[in-house]
Amino acid sequence: MWLLVLAGLGWMVSQRLKISTDLRSFMPAPTTPDQRLLMEQVGDGPGSRLLLLAISGGHATVKDASSDAQLAALSQSLAGALRKDPRYTQVLNGSFDLAALDSSLLPYRYLLSPTLDTQPLDEAYLSDQLQQRLDDLSSPAASLLKGLLPRDPTLQMLKLAERWTPAKAPETRDGVWFSPQHEALLLVQTRAAGFDPDAQQRAIDGIQHAFHALPGNAAAQLEFSGPGYFSVVVGTQTRNQANWIGRISSVGFIVLMLLAYRSLSSLLLSALPIASAALAGIAVLTLVFPEVHGITLAFGFTLLGVAQEYPIRVLSHRRAGEDAVQSVRALWPLLLTAIASACIAYLAFYASGVNGLKQLAVFTIVGLLVAGFSTRYLLSHLLPVHVRDVADRPGLAPARAFVDRLPRPRWIPVAVALLIVLMLAVAPGSFWQNNLAALTPLPQDMLLRDARLREALGAPDVRYLLVLQAPTEQGVLALSEQLQPKLDALVARRAVDALELPSLYLPSIALQRVRQQKLPDHSTLQRELTLALQGLPFHADLFQPFLDDVETARSLTPLTPERYAQTPLGQRLAAMLVQRDGHWLGLGTVSGVHDVAALQALGENSNGSVRLLDLKAASESLVAVYRTRILQALLVASMLLVLTIALALRSLQRAWHVLAPMTLATFLVLAVERVAGIEISLFHLVALILAGGLGLHYALFFERDTGDLAEQRRTLHATIVCVLSALLVFGMLGWATIPVLRAIGLTVSLGVAFHFCLSILMAPHAAHRSSDPAAKD
Amino acid sequence: MMLPLWSSASAPEVAPAASSSAQALIATLGRPAPARTAFAEARFMQILDRPLVVSGELAWLGGDQLQRRVDRPDQETAIIANGEVTQQRAGKTPRHFSLNRAPQLQVLLDSFVALLSGDAGRLQQAFDVRYTGVASGSWTLVLTPRDAAVAKSIASITIDGNGTQSRCMRMQEADGDLAIDLLGPLAATMPAQPTRESLQLLCQGVH
Repeated sequence: MWLLVLAGLGWMVSQRLKISTDLRSFMPAPTTPDQRLLMEQVGDGPGSRLLLLAISGGHATVKDASSDAQLAALSQSLAGALRKDPRYTQVLNGSFDLAALDSSLLPYRYLLSPTLDTQPLDEAYLSDQLQQRLDDLSSPAASLLKGLLPRDPTLQMLKLAERWTPAKAPETRDGVWFSPQHEALLLVQTRAAGFDPDAQQRAIDGIQHAFHALPGNAAAQLEFSGPGYFSVVVGTQTRNQANWIGRISSVGFIVLMLLAYRSLSSLLLSALPIASAALAGIAVLTLVFPEVHGITLAFGFTLLGVAQEYPIRVLSHRRAGEDAVQSVRALWPLLLTAIASACIAYLAFYASGVNGLKQLAVFTIVGLLVAGFSTRYLLSHLLPVHVRDVADRPGLAPARAFVDRLPRPRWIPVAVALLIVLMLAVAPGSFWQNNLAALTPLPQDMLLRDARLREALGAPDVRYLLVLQAPTEQGVLALSEQLQPKLDALVARRAVDALELPSLYLPSIALQRVRQQKLPDHSTLQRELTLALQGLPFHADLFQPFLDDVETARSLTPLTPERYAQTPLGQRLAAMLVQRDGHWLGLGTVSGVHDVAALQALGENSNGSVRLLDLKAASESLVAVYRTRILQALLVASMLLVLTIALALRSLQRAWHVLAPMTLATFLVLAVERVAGIEISLFHLVALILAGGLGLHYALFFERDTGDLAEQRRTLHATIVCVLSALLVFGMLGWATIPVLRAIGLTVSLGVAFHFCLSILMAPHAAHRSSDPAAKD
Repeated sequence: MMLPLWSSASAPEVAPAASSSAQALIATLGRPAPARTAFAEARFMQILDRPLVVSGELAWLGGDQLQRRVDRPDQETAIIANGEVTQQRAGKTPRHFSLNRAPQLQVLLDSFVALLSGDAGRLQQAFDVRYTGVASGSWTLVLTPRDAAVAKSIASITIDGNGTQSRCMRMQEADGDLAIDLLGPLAATMPAQPTRESLQLLCQGVH
């Protein structure tokens, strides 16, 4: 029956469950405008959607012209394939591609190019230009220009193309970008957000697929870099490590349970509450939230580890021949207190206001309740009638005796508290880890490669953005135009390597109109051109397409961002112009910042319409706010916890015996980690809460006043099984190389150990009771 | 009985014989790097009423490096190295572009370097080579690019010479434009107003 319900739940879950992988739902809700911009930029910003690709030959160190040519050919065909794929909004490999421009847009060059701002299309200018073209025609570049000449004798298109190529372009060889290490370089902008690992994985797979379909790819290697690629790598690495660690600890756990209870059916049955808890948790999540985050599930299953205690307690505390229902009923008040207090602790996650953590709270609370109640009302009816009493297990009595003989000095809490204060005082480094990136670390060589490729490609810095704000799109463009001369000055004095503003791609309508008005009418231009052509060998009617284009340009409707969005460069601009709360923002990308103060100075006297956004600072402030919220929620949760325990035990003194070891152990873990030089991150806090929940159970059961020796042995047995299983699972996590996993593993393992020791050493009641009857015996 | 046998046996040797005399010729054209030669070029283009004439010096610097220096009418130097062309003009910042985008230069490089290094193999790798020679010692090589992309813009190159000296290089573009380079001592004989016909005669050594 129970299994049927589970199967039904499983079916429902499989129907409804939609797993999201966007890491942003695990970040706190942004409060300041900068933080909100940060959240969008983290996922959608032009920088974060950029993949850096390097194609290298088998023997990349050998400088070989023919292998360069092969790599260049691969780069060209890969770019060609990707440009046709809607998953990529921009593919750059250094080759200038006039075909990328719609021919109907060509007359717009006179509205987009700044040349005519200072230079009228008169005889002097045309004559100079035509003379230069003549020189070009007798030079080796002739075949490049021959076709363009009739339409564009002043080469405005080439000037625009130069304007639009990345400012610090890499070395070009065989027509495409090359790094100094002889790799052909490409920049690919994905449509998918950078921090959506699944979508990025698909984008990367698409590139791999296109690359492997190319002839001659076998001799070459394709390497990736960039935020999107990193999110995929981190995701895969975390999953892989979590998987093998999970497998090893599962086997260990099963062995431990078999050793502890020597009953296969008990083992299988005790898995039922956990399975129910997990399924019910997911089921509720699918009902409450439209999408469930992958990390919620991963963390959720970890945190549900607490619930494994419930069946363990029931199994350990059962006497031989005792009816299982009777046994559970006797334990129930204590179990209920444990469940309630754990739920209260997890409520803190809900109060954090972060969507991912809210999901985590819903999942774990539902899971704990289901695990608890199913243990009480379902498991108890299913357990085998005949069990061996663990109290008679050889070795347990001496162990209990040893535990009981341990001194319970009253100075322990004071000493531990002093130790904690001392350790915290001398701990090196800063207390909190504010850097989100430190938690998703990448292999050093990967970071070095990224830095190298970014340097070679002149790809924009992901840290700084120049933010322009105006009521309208056109306002942003106008502001961007005003700012351009100041930025040029900054670039000229090397305060920054390059800056790209939206007006670089699209001037404001007003400026386009001004340029339009400067264009001569057909007869004037015809006259000037005829004069300029005197004495030159060009055919008289050669430049008719030029005359036509200028005439067309005079009556064009100026390009708007909407129209521009349909061009190949449209995505580039769209990423730089965003609407927010009734006003528009222009996002200027910055490469190679040498003088931050000079950039910040741009914002002075602009009344906030121009500012330099430091994404790193914004993310750190975001983390700090996030942590403050969690800490506040924890404070409320701990007060509720004190209240619950005090009410449940109906004695402040007993509550003290439960809460004091738990509190001290929690702070002890914190202090030990700090002394070891570990900076505390959000994941440490989450792990501390989990350890606290486990510690609370140990303290509750050790404190339990039964006066029965056998029962005390059973308590010890149950607690040891719990401690060992927790150490097994989380100790394994502590070996992981991924800091998030290691943070959780180490913190929980330390926590479990400290909680266990302190709950024994600070449980004086049990010591008195157990020694007194022993003395009478 | 004997004659047909003899002819059938020797017939296949005709082509290699021609090619081997081309190889022998090419081998005699080789010079040690750096090899320099004066040139005068007339470029006949459809978009122009009259040809563009420049003169200067072509130099093979060894390996795949070629320099084309123009002295008249204006100073300009183009250097081809590592698949890149660097173009420098007095008073201007140098311009770089890929050799891929200048097929004229690609064939110039392939033919010129192969000829100056006496490397017939290389020449035959890049071009289909046709050779005609006459008893007086003058000869003509017609090179047709094998690479389809190059052939799209360059139809053929014709090199005229006498003995071990190249006199002339004619580059026929696919769109009908033609560039004729007079090489060595012949460069000095470029007429002020050249025509295709007058230059052709000069190249073939007809005075």
